[in-house]
Amino acid sequence: MNGWLQMAAVLITALGLVAAAAAWRLTHTVRGGLAVLLDFLTAAGLIRLAGEPSWGSVMLAAAVIALRKLLGASLHVSRPNQTTRGGARPVSAGR
Amino acid sequence: MTLSVELLPESTLRDVIGLLVRLIESAGALIIFIGAVWAFVQFVAAGVRGRGKVAGFNRIRLSLGRFLVLGLEFQLAGDVLRTAVAPSFAEIGQLAAIAAIRTALNYFLGREIAQERAEIERGETAPPAQGGKGLPT
Repeated sequence: MNGWLQMAAVLITALGLVAAAAAWRLTHTVRGGLAVLLDFLTAAGLIRLAGEPSWGSVMLAAAVIALRKLLGASLHVSRPNQTTRGGARPVSAGR
Repeated sequence: MTLSVELLPESTLRDVIGLLVRLIESAGALIIFIGAVWAFVQFVAAGVRGRGKVAGFNRIRLSLGRFLVLGLEFQLAGDVLRTAVAPSFAEIGQLAAIAAIRTALNYFLGREIAQERAEIERGETAPPAQGGKGLPT
């Protein structure tokens, strides 16, 4: 099963690269493409964690997710014109 | 002296739980894979169509996030099931690390989805003209 999962993870990473290029073309911002790439890398990391993961793959998935959060936070901070009229701030809807 | 009646031998329990964990984790991985492929097709289709569809871009990301969360829920269910049989401390430690990663990611993804949805709704309800206080339809 691990072989299939590894293959699926590599495939998702490759798809993510293409999708990131498409997203960049769509939004004409690096932020959009990077966000999509990080989403796909997260999906690949999660698939790697299924089955019987090694400590290496656990650490890799944790690193990708931490990087994703870090970059996501920095992109969120650098997002232009975040606050809109009427005090519409991002909803912090914790679950 | 203890009188033990083995209705369900531990080895059988391990086998059954192992099979269930595999099934559930495979389902989670399959959901994530399908979501990624679906999002890829949508992104490429939107990219070919051209720019100016940022709302559509956000919707695709939102859907991908939902697929990821659903797959994660399955994988967390597998983790919970796996705790029924954890033979060694090393395995328990690894399980704890994986469950912690998945739980944290589930939480953050849930928050991101809520934020993206709020942004999309704001974009739909707030007209470009002044006095945009329309309620969500």
